[in-house]
Amino acid sequence: MNEFFLSILVFSPLVGILVLALLPKTQESNIKFVGFLATLPALVLSLFAFFQHLGGGNIDQYDVKVNWIHFGDFAEMGLFKIDYELGLNGFSLILIVLTAVLSTLAAIASIHIKKEWKGYFMLFLLLEIGMLGVFAAQNLILFFIFFEITMIPMFFLIGKWGYFEKEKAAYSYLIYNGLGSAILLIVIMVLFARTGTSNIEALAKIMAMEDPATVSPFSDSLKMGLMIALLIAFGVKLPIFPLHTWMLRVHVQAPPSIVMLHSGVLLKIGAFGLIRFGMGIFPEQFESLAVLIVILGVVNLLYGAFLAFLQEDFKMVLAYSSISHMGIVLMGVGALNEAGIQGAIFQVVSHGLISALLFFLVGVFYERFHTSTIANLGGMAKGMPLTAGFLLAGAMASLGLPGMSGFVSEFMAFLGLFEEMPILAAIGCIGIIMTAVYLLRATLGITYGKAHREFAGVTDLKAAEFVPVLVLTALIVLIGVYPSVLSEPLQATLETIMLGLGG
Amino acid sequence: MSSVPVSAYLTLALILFCIGLYGALTKRNTVIVLISVELMLNAVNINLVAFSKYGMIPSITGQVFALFAMAVAAAEAAVGLAILIALYRNRKTVNIDEINSMKN
Amino acid sequence: MENAWIIPLFPLFSFLFLLLFGKKMKETSAYIGIFFTLAAFIYSLVVLFDRFNHPTFKAEANWLSIGDVQLTAGFEVNQLNALMLVIVSLVSFLVHTYSKGYMHGDDRFHIFYAYLGLFTFAMLGLVLSPNLLQTYIFWELVGVGSFLLIGFYFYKEEAKAAAKKAFIMTRIGDVGLLIGMILLFWQVGSFEYDEIFLAVENGAVSAGMITLTAILIFIGAVGKSGQFPLHTWLPDAMEGPTPVSALIHAATMVAAGVYLVAALFPLFTASKTALLTIAVVGAITAIFAASIGLVQTDIKRVLAYSTVSQLGYMMLALGSAGYVAGVFHLMTHAFFKALLFLAAGSVIHAVHTQNIEEMGGLWKKLRLTGPLFLIGTLAISGVPLFSGFFSKDEILIAAWAHGNTALFWLAVVAAFFTAFYMFRLFFMVFTGEARSKMKNVHESPAMMTFPMIVLGILAVVAGYVNTPWFGTFLGDWLVEGNAALGHGHIEGPAWIMIVATIVSLLGIFLAWLMYGKRTLSRDWLSSRAPYTYKLLYNKYYMDELYGVTVVKATKFFSVFLSYIEAFIVEGLVKTVAGIVQGFGKIGSKIQNGQIQTYGTFAFVGLAVLIVIYALTGGYLK
Repeated sequence: MNEFFLSILVFSPLVGILVLALLPKTQESNIKFVGFLATLPALVLSLFAFFQHLGGGNIDQYDVKVNWIHFGDFAEMGLFKIDYELGLNGFSLILIVLTAVLSTLAAIASIHIKKEWKGYFMLFLLLEIGMLGVFAAQNLILFFIFFEITMIPMFFLIGKWGYFEKEKAAYSYLIYNGLGSAILLIVIMVLFARTGTSNIEALAKIMAMEDPATVSPFSDSLKMGLMIALLIAFGVKLPIFPLHTWMLRVHVQAPPSIVMLHSGVLLKIGAFGLIRFGMGIFPEQFESLAVLIVILGVVNLLYGAFLAFLQEDFKMVLAYSSISHMGIVLMGVGALNEAGIQGAIFQVVSHGLISALLFFLVGVFYERFHTSTIANLGGMAKGMPLTAGFLLAGAMASLGLPGMSGFVSEFMAFLGLFEEMPILAAIGCIGIIMTAVYLLRATLGITYGKAHREFAGVTDLKAAEFVPVLVLTALIVLIGVYPSVLSEPLQATLETIMLGLGG
Repeated sequence: MSSVPVSAYLTLALILFCIGLYGALTKRNTVIVLISVELMLNAVNINLVAFSKYGMIPSITGQVFALFAMAVAAAEAAVGLAILIALYRNRKTVNIDEINSMKN
Repeated sequence: MENAWIIPLFPLFSFLFLLLFGKKMKETSAYIGIFFTLAAFIYSLVVLFDRFNHPTFKAEANWLSIGDVQLTAGFEVNQLNALMLVIVSLVSFLVHTYSKGYMHGDDRFHIFYAYLGLFTFAMLGLVLSPNLLQTYIFWELVGVGSFLLIGFYFYKEEAKAAAKKAFIMTRIGDVGLLIGMILLFWQVGSFEYDEIFLAVENGAVSAGMITLTAILIFIGAVGKSGQFPLHTWLPDAMEGPTPVSALIHAATMVAAGVYLVAALFPLFTASKTALLTIAVVGAITAIFAASIGLVQTDIKRVLAYSTVSQLGYMMLALGSAGYVAGVFHLMTHAFFKALLFLAAGSVIHAVHTQNIEEMGGLWKKLRLTGPLFLIGTLAISGVPLFSGFFSKDEILIAAWAHGNTALFWLAVVAAFFTAFYMFRLFFMVFTGEARSKMKNVHESPAMMTFPMIVLGILAVVAGYVNTPWFGTFLGDWLVEGNAALGHGHIEGPAWIMIVATIVSLLGIFLAWLMYGKRTLSRDWLSSRAPYTYKLLYNKYYMDELYGVTVVKATKFFSVFLSYIEAFIVEGLVKTVAGIVQGFGKIGSKIQNGQIQTYGTFAFVGLAVLIVIYALTGGYLK
């Protein structure tokens, strides 16, 4: 059973795709229900694995390795093989749980989808397979395959079910990410060709060796080049300034349920890749780039914050806020100590939950008012107190209110950074203030003040909408109040990383 | 044994090939292009024959292969000219510039 | 005492309960809130009395581990914490009771009580914190409680702006606290107060670092306690319902800054510069806010400026090494200022305006509120035998004894101002002839007067726990077992007390001349020195100053960045896209349908590959 566990977990949405293929495309409610159900197995299994691990269960037991592709006679030496290998560590387990939870909630949020439900949910489930696979993959080539699987459904989901400028957004998504993954592919191929393996752990070991017996030699400058290429490839995904413009379009144009996944999970692949591959495979090069990474992080943080302050559209505010928050991830990662890296990982999870919550709420009021412009929405607390209340709670979490997940992550990232680079960290602190400024400006603009429109007859959160909001808020508060729930599974991963960094 | 060195054969083949290539890529008249292709094929034949005599492992296979090539070339020339005539009937031209239906 | 952690959970439960079920309960939800805060108060009293007989109790558990570092959460009951527990829970309980009458008829009655519960929880949690991190956590939560309550009337634009301003201004301070706290952590290796004091004592932290962190932490206190120059949010916060002003913006939260400095007192005393900074900021705030208070016409704003000014007093005390004086004044101020706000609320409740120009002659109509307001006014003015007299006296002595002569005289002038503007307020509201508009004026219900009576009694007697005449019980108890906090009572020359008395009586006399008896014209200041008057009336144009500097600068910088975004980043994108498109165009030119062109390029490509292969030997290095 154990050797199939991960494969079932990753590919379980496939069942949903098959069932959907057989359904006639006019049965709206059935399609939506099947789409929702299909996300459940992954959720149940990932939660099972998570709690088992929390209870002290061994995490390696689910690792699976099957021969898949091999090239010529080298395979007998164990070289130039591509295996189908899935596995878990603390970090990827957490992200898989995050993916599964957000997928289920996004499936619920998809009740607002208006057309061609069948195609939508098939692509949606394919996207989920891709996301789950990315985190479970144990070698770079498999990772890349899953990485590409996320891209194609995403392109169609944006391009077909988005808003007014959906095609433009979809193309700019495809071009940027296509470039990013092309660079990633080059890195992977160079690594594979030179070492004969693409297994992540094996690569990390080879790179750590003083004089590794690789198929062909590695110079330091080549390693540095590969590290920079990785930074760019994942920098597109994260996104790092100035590679961020595609993400703004996607956030504004894609349907909210998809943005929940995009902002909640897909952006995090960038952070995951930087930590897992950048830090894991090229620790020395990463260290020498640390200052640059932190500077990029501070720029991201401030740039996003100041621009979010100007935006008129709430979705744009959230998009820039995502850029700003990803800056904190970079700062934490660049600190290169336990506090910083743990803070970055916490931020990854926390921002995933918070932005999913906020975008879900955007979907809720967009559905009712067909606008997300702040000026058109003033005084929403009067007619829709629940929506407004949760919006405020989400904003508070996002600006790092203690007791919610945003604080723990921000605090740890800054704690780590202040040990290494106090000046940059102090500059970054301006971002903390600015975050409060732009978030309050936007959310208070929407919820408080005189009512700018007629709210009578508008229903507040419906039952189906209430569930995701409540689940997300509960998770945010849980992590904020009891952060050990995340930090415990992470310890082993962190130790490995710190070992690689020589600290 | 003093004989013509293999490099001479190869040089001849190279010159012949280049002339053929030049003709095939630049001439407007389709008939000339076909003739140029024949030149290139013959350059290959010279190589085959030369290596079958002076190669690292001399073997008759090369000469046999050259014969095959000639036979195929003859067939190809026939087919090529047939297509050319068919084309001429349709288009009233053998000018290669006007045969660009691949473009659209 | 071992179970003191339960105390904050009472109001937390009230908050959660009312949030979930309050809607159906309507106004009965008040009883839930009152019950739980009463429970918290009683338990706090138990803890306080327990603390009299037992040593400090501290319990902790692991909260979060970062590598080898364990961050803990827990609670500590020392003298200061026990005292604060009682003050906070008592005022909170009284405000809960008072609000039952004041908020009567409001649509969101239960939400109001829920927010009050949240705030009380955070405040009680704050005063129980044994380490800086936990303090910071509750510090921010307190801020949110305050934010929510200021913005309670969310449909008013002013309330929205005030709430936003309060949150952002205090957050600026909080960032100072955060930085200071983290820097201290990397010096000491812990957030625990005990460990920090130990490290400071052992000289494990360099003097410069102590000064830096102390001042950074003090910035946090400046934000929260409305000290100059981050004070402007506090008067605006009066947009919230009046009971909130009494609870948060007079008695508890704004005093949290003072509490923080007191709790970290050994750190501050280790740095002369830090102490001096505190004293100077405190004295400036005291005189600055008092001078603004002289001319304001909104009853709540006058009280707000007096709060700012009194908080400045407390800071001055702490900065002059007068630990006991600061904490003592914090306590007495909590009582008499809460009383003043509740009485003001009662006045507003009766006359439905906050403008004192429109009030007058209310003494006869508000038979209970009037005398209670007078008690509060006497106490804050420092009239002998009232609580404010003793605590203010302690502060002046501390400032004098510490050698801050200039600051001492500033404080004396501020005391004069205080007596003047408080009695100006009193005379304008309660004496003179009644205005015609005030027809249906009647006394508030018992639910509202009861808390005022309790506070009125306390405003009179609270001073007697620490007097130079009958003994300094509070002071001795507060510093017991901790030499770093200084002496329980600082001896000072007797003339200070006399000067203080004369000054406050002079202020009252002047106010009586101008507003009571009216032998002096009211417009004395505005006619003699119109510019000074205008300057004071407009609060030294601080808001405008921030408006044209900080706010403008932020906007300008944002716009500047948006141009970068629009031209440079987007330009970069366009350039890249243009290059790609250019390549595409070239490619499509090649694709002209001519087999010969295709052949040519195929051949050239092959040739290039062969050349590369030949040059590199087949490998890219």
